[in-house]
Amino acid sequence: MATSPKIDVGTDYKEKYGFFVPEDYVFKAKRGLNPEIVKEISWMKGEPEWMTKFRLRSLEIFRKKPMPNWGADLSVIDFENIFYYLRASDKQSKTWEELPPDIKATYDRLGVPEAERKFLAGVSAQYESEVVYHSLQKELSAKGVIFLDTDSALREHPDLFKEYFGTVIPPADNKFSALNSAVWSGGSFIYVPKGVRVDVPLQAYFRINAENMGQFERTLIICDEGSFVHYIEGCTAPIYTSDSLHSAVVEIIVKKDARCRYTTIQNWSTNVFNLVTKRAMAYADATMEWVDGNLGSQITMKYPSVYLMEPGAKGDVLSIAFAGKGQHQDAGGKMIHVAPNTTSTITSKSISKAGGRTSYRGHIKVYPGANNSKSFVKCDALLLDDNSRSDTYPYNDVDADNVTLGHEATVSKVSDEQLFYLMSRGITRNEAETMIVNGFIEPFTKELPLEYAVELNRLIQLEMEGSVG
Amino acid sequence: MGFNAETLEQAVQGEPDWLLDRRRTALSSFERLPLPSRTDEEWRRTNLAGLDLPAYARFEQRNGHVPERSALPSGVIFEPLAIAAQRHASLIEPLLFSLVRADRDRFSALHAAFFTGGNFVYVPDGVTIDEPILGQHFSHEGGTSVLPHTLIVAGKGARFNYLDEYIAEGDETEGYRSGSAEIFVGEGAEVGYVAVQKWGRNAWHLADQRARLEKDSTLKLFNVTLGARFSKTRVEASLVGPGATAELKGIYFASGEQFFDFHTLQDHQVGNTTSDLLFKGALQDVARTVYAGLIRIEKGAARSDAYQANRNLVLSDKAKATSIPMLEIDNNDVRCTHGATVGPVDPNHLFYLRSRGIPERTAKRMIVQGFFGQVLDRIPFQQARELIEAELEARLG
Repeated sequence: MATSPKIDVGTDYKEKYGFFVPEDYVFKAKRGLNPEIVKEISWMKGEPEWMTKFRLRSLEIFRKKPMPNWGADLSVIDFENIFYYLRASDKQSKTWEELPPDIKATYDRLGVPEAERKFLAGVSAQYESEVVYHSLQKELSAKGVIFLDTDSALREHPDLFKEYFGTVIPPADNKFSALNSAVWSGGSFIYVPKGVRVDVPLQAYFRINAENMGQFERTLIICDEGSFVHYIEGCTAPIYTSDSLHSAVVEIIVKKDARCRYTTIQNWSTNVFNLVTKRAMAYADATMEWVDGNLGSQITMKYPSVYLMEPGAKGDVLSIAFAGKGQHQDAGGKMIHVAPNTTSTITSKSISKAGGRTSYRGHIKVYPGANNSKSFVKCDALLLDDNSRSDTYPYNDVDADNVTLGHEATVSKVSDEQLFYLMSRGITRNEAETMIVNGFIEPFTKELPLEYAVELNRLIQLEMEGSVG
Repeated sequence: MGFNAETLEQAVQGEPDWLLDRRRTALSSFERLPLPSRTDEEWRRTNLAGLDLPAYARFEQRNGHVPERSALPSGVIFEPLAIAAQRHASLIEPLLFSLVRADRDRFSALHAAFFTGGNFVYVPDGVTIDEPILGQHFSHEGGTSVLPHTLIVAGKGARFNYLDEYIAEGDETEGYRSGSAEIFVGEGAEVGYVAVQKWGRNAWHLADQRARLEKDSTLKLFNVTLGARFSKTRVEASLVGPGATAELKGIYFASGEQFFDFHTLQDHQVGNTTSDLLFKGALQDVARTVYAGLIRIEKGAARSDAYQANRNLVLSDKAKATSIPMLEIDNNDVRCTHGATVGPVDPNHLFYLRSRGIPERTAKRMIVQGFFGQVLDRIPFQQARELIEAELEARLG
């Protein structure tokens, strides 16, 4: 890693968010990646043999797969210089008070307890690689809803787990799904039984807090027939000086007539490589919605996808990306129409400033036989200064009959008329621009629960401070 | 046989040395460059299987066919390119294949090495020509190559219209065709360029149309693609002077087993430039089309305005249109919009017309005419419009 280029990490991060907690680990695996490390992780977790084999097989696949040669530049990642497993605390905490104080201090800054007190059903806060805090409201358990960290789910519900794990995203899907499959740790497991509606969003906070530490959480959500769940994942991370890798895999199965919404606000510190595979299978008349916000990280490559497997399935991606100095957000969505009469929409909003780059990359694939399908893609980009860049790369492959497909995109700057109007009302230029940007992403914020919308607006405000006028 | 040095020496005689040298260099590029592979993004959706290039290494035309000409203002040059290359070397040598580069890929190299026919059009500064200039390129038989190349140079403030018509006389068997054009639009010039491709239905057609626009110039380019079994056309405009405006319009009608592929580029190298692209196509039977367009705004190209749209009307269940509009924007002070649609005839429209007693067949035809109507209005001159409307009429049946 001697040749690794120097990476600017936005030195004001600490003052902005102030999340920086000294390292204190119960167990820290060695750096690097080999079958021994993988076996050690599996042994530490006391996993069944099939999982150990699955991990080792995935490691083989990871080694054989080439790095993707498209999208962002990933050549600076050094897989041998990463910790693949950490556990910050030995025991699973049941209540907030039992959490170690330094971890609590970090979460206090994020407002987790308040959020929970207000209306959240369960908090599964991930500090380092394992879920350390977890609570679930009693009525949810009574309904038969399972909401666990993924490691506990493997222990407590082995049959259910084995039936679905790795079926949506097999290890061989891509290089980073193979890596995740080999070294995964933590993440959430949700099972919603037939006909059950979970009225309050389930949420987990994910954190990275160690230098050179990869976080490979693995989330699996199963919505049985006619059920509904909204899962929220939010990320923030403190600043460190060398690259961190985050490579999650999220698998979702939405059965007949069910609906699942998955909301993410990603705000990793700007030295993190965020390379995530997210995919859902939607069956007859099911609805899958990805609400995906990308604010942080140095490089994000993330294309939430929906496989529309049976007639009437519906897929929706609503995505925003914000790229500041040194950031490249390569995000978008994929809709794979496998069955006839399926519909999909992708709405993407991106903002680039201070030399940041946002790319929309999307794929609409309509397989032979998926007749009468409809798909619509809309991308809007806002460029805040003339150092920044925005790209749109939509790929469309239609092999079925009678398919309607639309794509629209616009790229613009903050209009002078809007600025003039606001400034003539006595609003400063910076405030006016912030208002315009918040208005631009409003279609996204209005889909978020209130406290997330507030948090997002605040984050945008922080990002906009010092924006080039 | 095949496209080799021997074929080249036989095919071209009496050309100036600089041109022969250029052809030889292009031939060596052709020999060096591999056939584009499907792993190449530009060629991913383009199937070259079945193209047997050496089988077509025979040429129908010698260079030097003198086009018919109407009276042209003095100073205007309109000659076969090979003849003009001798007479006006100082004008042609610096420009020929500087936009359509011979080393871009195997097909561009083949075209530059073996081009036959095609015209050189030079309109001096300040000259306006009212009547359009017509260039016609014919093919008569299969198993041959017909590779016309057009070079258009518009001086400062020149104004004129030019039409390239690629015509197959008689229904031929397989052959190899190209029809490329390089268009240099000088400062303040206004050029209308129309290309109508009607090669035989078994032909392979690969062409590059590329323009360079200087300060305050305007180009209205209109591409019509109707012929060939396989047609791949790149339509590209570089805006290199402020105030330049490029209007790039196209229509295509694909039927039977035709495959059409369009790659377009709106290359805004400087600011205060405008480009407006609209490609509309109708497909029936089992035809397939691919449209991939890119708007590129370079870093300094502030106050650029770019629009790109591709609309496809799919008239049969088995026809397939792929549309990929892309943007690469490196400047914030711009307005860029693009859109693409692929879809069947709106059943409501059809129902409305049928409820007025119009048979389905006629109703569909009316819808297609209406679909093309908007873009036909943008054909830069009347003669071209009449020609294109008649061709469409004949094909809609």
